[in-house]
Amino acid sequence: MTERQVQLRLGIGALIAAVLLTLVAIPQWVSSPSNVQRLVLSPLFWPYALAGFTFLAGLGLIFGGLRMTDSGEPVDAPSDDPRAAWMRLAGMAVIMVLAMFLMPRLGMVLTAMLIFVATAFLVRTRHPKTALVCAVIVPLVLYAFFAHVAGVAIPQGDYLRLP
Amino acid sequence: MSFMDSIAAGLSLVGNVESFLALFVGVAIGTIGGAIPGMSATMAVALTLPFTFAMQPITGILLLLGVYKGGIFGGSIPAILIKTPGTPASSATILDGYPMAEKGEAGRALGMALWASCTADVISNLALILFAGWLASFALSFGPPEFFTLILFSLTIIAGVSGTSLLRGALSALLGLLLATIGLDLVYGTNRFTFGDPNMMGGLNFIAVLIGLFAIPEILAMVWNPTAHVGTARSLGNNRVTFADYRRCFKSIVRGSFIGVFLGSIPGIGAAPSAFLSYSEARRTSKNRDNFGKGEVEGVAASEAGNNGVAGATLIPLLALGVPGDVITAIIIGAFMIHGLQPGPMMFILNVDIIYGLFIGLIVSSFFLFIVGTVAIRGFKYVADIPKRILIPAVLVLCIYGVFAVNNNIFDVGVMFAMGWVGYLMVRYQVPAAPFLIAFILGPLLEDNFRQSMLMSGSDPLILFRGPITWFFWLLTVITVIAIVRAGVRAVRGIPLGGGP
Repeated sequence: MTERQVQLRLGIGALIAAVLLTLVAIPQWVSSPSNVQRLVLSPLFWPYALAGFTFLAGLGLIFGGLRMTDSGEPVDAPSDDPRAAWMRLAGMAVIMVLAMFLMPRLGMVLTAMLIFVATAFLVRTRHPKTALVCAVIVPLVLYAFFAHVAGVAIPQGDYLRLP
Repeated sequence: MSFMDSIAAGLSLVGNVESFLALFVGVAIGTIGGAIPGMSATMAVALTLPFTFAMQPITGILLLLGVYKGGIFGGSIPAILIKTPGTPASSATILDGYPMAEKGEAGRALGMALWASCTADVISNLALILFAGWLASFALSFGPPEFFTLILFSLTIIAGVSGTSLLRGALSALLGLLLATIGLDLVYGTNRFTFGDPNMMGGLNFIAVLIGLFAIPEILAMVWNPTAHVGTARSLGNNRVTFADYRRCFKSIVRGSFIGVFLGSIPGIGAAPSAFLSYSEARRTSKNRDNFGKGEVEGVAASEAGNNGVAGATLIPLLALGVPGDVITAIIIGAFMIHGLQPGPMMFILNVDIIYGLFIGLIVSSFFLFIVGTVAIRGFKYVADIPKRILIPAVLVLCIYGVFAVNNNIFDVGVMFAMGWVGYLMVRYQVPAAPFLIAFILGPLLEDNFRQSMLMSGSDPLILFRGPITWFFWLLTVITVIAIVRAGVRAVRGIPLGGGP
């Protein structure tokens, strides 16, 4: 992506977001009492105003992008192998979704251990044994602090009960 | 309450081992966090925040302030030794710090960075003590229209100066304001974007949004490119900083400190621009200007004084007006709120002991910074050796525990993950995250003050121009917008800021 493409995509994204907000999201998901006498005091006013400003910002971004001279220089963060990088990002998304699914069932400590191992191997750690040791110790130490010092009820799950 | 009574009240609150230990530990954590490339002072403060929940308010806030101070200095260590700023505020330190390290003078550069940081820190703290109370007493006469215009001005300047373009900053701030509308309406109590989910009715949790925006994108960036942040640390060399060096740079240090204080007290500008401005001023006025960029110790002193001069001053708008000056103070405002405190002019009346306790703690933090910094310079190689690909999963686990601990709610962890992807997209599309977060915090205040103003006036918008204070802030807002747009247009056309082509 070049600087100009970034600017244009942001502008188009802002326009789409503003239109969706105005036509779909606000009418459907913002409720307002029927007895509001002045529009400016309505719960709808602020979201509509923000959607309007987002539309204007989108127009400004597109206008700025069109006037911009394209240097052709990419602005993305460099990566040795973009395809593998995208796969790793997708893997991270899967880890996050699985974490949300597993946390109530396995408990936070076991889930955190799995997340640690999965993430360490996803980023191709050169210290697999250290990663495994840390994957056990770090969640346990954090559990000890939050459960016993801070008094937080850390979810224990169905399979492992920690003191 | 007299000045001496206020100091006595503050001293009674912080005059214990626990508070000073928290401050010391905070400075140490911050220095280590700032020194690790791939982390930053912001991330260090965000990750420390959940550990303050179990503490007394003053202890927790002192811990965070310690992390802040330590983090800003800590960033200079990798900047000098491996040419990678630990935190964006240290970017200017590279210009002369790394060439000095290449010449075998890393120890001298780091020593000067420490001396300049501590001096600037003291000056910045004194400025905070002098000006915050004065500003707060002035702000006591503010009503909803004055606060509305003040917040609007703050958001304008934050959006304008946080990134490369006003429009991207504005878009970021608008998204933050939109996110802040989630929850029950402030006046009528009706649902706004809650999708019928009870978890959404109280709005999105601030800590989840914050950690999602500032810690998770770093993890995703590491996943994208796991071999980033790799560098070879230089040895310290035999040269050490001398008193003669300090005396030679003293003028630049004091000037840089005042630049830091001035820019830090304006919401949104932050430490990095201050460091660069201080550096360029030192270069402009120095007798050794030809050496700048080639390893001039005065350049290191100026940039470090510039970024540390901001650290105390950003607390001026936070404590006096309740407006966070940068992302880190936005996190600290969260700590205040978690402990049931609302920064702003009323705090100088209702919680004067906490205010003066913080002032005392901040003064002490400069001495702690010197002690911790001296050790950190020598111990950097151990920090640099921590494998990043072990550190990043540990940070992720820490984020999960920290966010869960706020409300004992797994939903907040999901919000953090979602905001992490939003933050990562913002990084990739070069949309600054600071306006987003600060708008998210100030959004309810902005809307609340607007609607209170409308209720007061029977929906007459002229109330927003009711007196000199509102006019003053409107004028500042207009000037800011014009200045930023003009700078943007000139940048697009390739015209230098100082004049014509």
